[in-house]
Amino acid sequence: MTESTLFTIAFALYATALVVYFASLFAKREKWARNGLVLAAAGLVSHTAALILRTVVSRHAPFTNMYESLSFLSWAVVVALIVFSRKSRVPRLGAYLMLIVVGLVALASSPLMPKEATPLVPALQSYWLWLHVSVTLLGEAFFAVAFVSSLLYLAADTEEKKERLDALSYRAVAVGFPLFTLGGLIFGMVWAYRAWGRYWAWDPKEVWSLITWFVFALYLHTRIVMGWKGKRSAVIAIAGFLAALFTYFGVNYLLAGLHSYG
Amino acid sequence: MKSVWKFLASIKLAIVLFILITLASILGTLIPQGSSAAEYAARYGGSSGLFVSLQLTRLYQSFWYLALLLLFALNTVVCTVSRFGPKWRRAFGPSVEANSQTLMTMKVKSRFRLALPVAAAKDRIAGLLRSRHYLLTEYGRENGVALLARKRRFGVFGSDIVHLGLLVILAGGFTSGLGGHRVDVPLLEGQTADVPHAAFRVRLDKFETEYYPRGEVKAWKSTVTVLENGAPVLTRIVEVNRPLSYRGFSFYQMSYGWDWDNPRLELEVRKRADSAFSKTVALKVGERAPVDDADVSHVVVRQFVPDFVIGEGNKVQSRSQEPNNPAAMVEAWKGEERVFSGWIFAKYPDFGQGHAAGQSTLAFVLKNYAAAPYSVLEAAKDPGVNFIWLGCLLVTAGFFLAFYWPPREIRVVLEEVQGKIEVTAGGQAAKSREAFQSEFDQIFDSARRPA
Repeated sequence: MTESTLFTIAFALYATALVVYFASLFAKREKWARNGLVLAAAGLVSHTAALILRTVVSRHAPFTNMYESLSFLSWAVVVALIVFSRKSRVPRLGAYLMLIVVGLVALASSPLMPKEATPLVPALQSYWLWLHVSVTLLGEAFFAVAFVSSLLYLAADTEEKKERLDALSYRAVAVGFPLFTLGGLIFGMVWAYRAWGRYWAWDPKEVWSLITWFVFALYLHTRIVMGWKGKRSAVIAIAGFLAALFTYFGVNYLLAGLHSYG
Repeated sequence: MKSVWKFLASIKLAIVLFILITLASILGTLIPQGSSAAEYAARYGGSSGLFVSLQLTRLYQSFWYLALLLLFALNTVVCTVSRFGPKWRRAFGPSVEANSQTLMTMKVKSRFRLALPVAAAKDRIAGLLRSRHYLLTEYGRENGVALLARKRRFGVFGSDIVHLGLLVILAGGFTSGLGGHRVDVPLLEGQTADVPHAAFRVRLDKFETEYYPRGEVKAWKSTVTVLENGAPVLTRIVEVNRPLSYRGFSFYQMSYGWDWDNPRLELEVRKRADSAFSKTVALKVGERAPVDDADVSHVVVRQFVPDFVIGEGNKVQSRSQEPNNPAAMVEAWKGEERVFSGWIFAKYPDFGQGHAAGQSTLAFVLKNYAAAPYSVLEAAKDPGVNFIWLGCLLVTAGFFLAFYWPPREIRVVLEEVQGKIEVTAGGQAAKSREAFQSEFDQIFDSARRPA
């Protein structure tokens, strides 16, 4: 099987998982959500195989252009969903996270994204490519969990649900923030120093990761030191995810800089 | 003085600074940084002067942005220091003695009776706690004994270590900004250059570009030799992602090119009337190359460009550094008389022979063109960089402690009640309370019902 077949199978399974998740919401049958999770996990298996195959064929890390990094980010969001589904007991989380996953995969599959694997330009030939991009995107996937649970918090009607979603959002930030700091900022600085000779150049992508970092630092400080919870925390987490999304996406298309790889 | 301390110790200041630094940073990504005055004038018109005087065009190096960062650093120091003492005492100091009533008000608790002597009951519980890596402190009581069990005590200092790491990183940033310098060192093959502020020199032995099968650049490789007092001490290949470090300096593969100002050319001279005539001369730009023929005594190349294009004002320019359309401006002389003058194109030998020289009996072919490749190394000395790595290590360790090393504390009171030992235990954990609850239950279930 080729990489694109495996990727298409993953896409189909994710889309089916999405349908099952939403069916469970509308039919109010929480048990169906488990089938959604199983389908998502099956999709993840195929997706993982696609990523490995692409790595083997292209002989470089599978995140060097927009198609590849979108594919990896969606993979990471499914991983985050599976990690958090075990404990969270929030069926809606799966439904809305799969909506994000299917959106990302659809965007990756769109004809706008060149899918051809191109040889690595000299600046990307480094094992830091693996460390920097994978850990950063994994961190952003957990921000996506915090984003969805914060949105659900704002829409929730009972205190019990709210409390659960608030805790979930915090737990996701507690995983995502260290990963993002390590992968995005620290590994990024180490690699920048090796490749460009400076660990920090105030490149727009660097500045936007710093901004994302500040927003989540704000989240943690208001929460832990000032005791903010609930609505205000949710709003900050949502802003943080949007900043992360802009760092990942917007900077490439709207602001010029050193990070013009995708 | 006290009010200054209070101002700096306030978390509200931290929140305000988070927001201000974020907004300022966003502004800096919306305004192009470090462009020329003309570009700002074109972009912002009359208000461009204001942009410059507010240092918005070099925002991240501006006085006010650095002042914000400095205030942020001070705030971090004072916040951390003022909270450190109480934290330390809570983690390591002698604990306030608990009594069984207060323990029963805790969320995680247990109470049961054991038909054992005090010492045996205590040993059993202490053993169970130790087996789960708790550190114990024992307090004697009138009618029994109290235990304080703590583990992962360093977890509470995670945030302090992160803060320390951030301060070290900021210090590193300021050190880099003040004490760092970097300079481009262009080198032709075989050329040796001084490195500013360094007691050694560098020589480029070889520079080559490697390509993938389909023509994309795979690598730029500079073979560099470091010379001390004229003697070579080390030779290494420098490429992107593989800098050379030597005595506090780092050398990066930054750029490359060819010395097209000094090409080595080969020109073939022909005669239209005499197809048997062919003479090839090797020459440089501006050099008279003798042909020694009755019709042409010598030729001169006035100008050479690797990628010919007619630019502004009908001036000949080179579109790029790549030899896509190499062209030479050739003049041929017969004694004092110029018999030919025109551009010769290596890739289009028949083109251009005409224009000034349509009637000329001579024809030229640019057979060969070569220029020495040069490599641009960036020599950088950055005294702040070790602070940065130290700070990064601290931040990583601090995050680990703060998020994944949450302290746990269990207090146990053993009292003699009606001939039996009543055990009252209460516990608290900073995080992952569910996991703590299950650990707590396991400990006290085993204490109650030994296997």
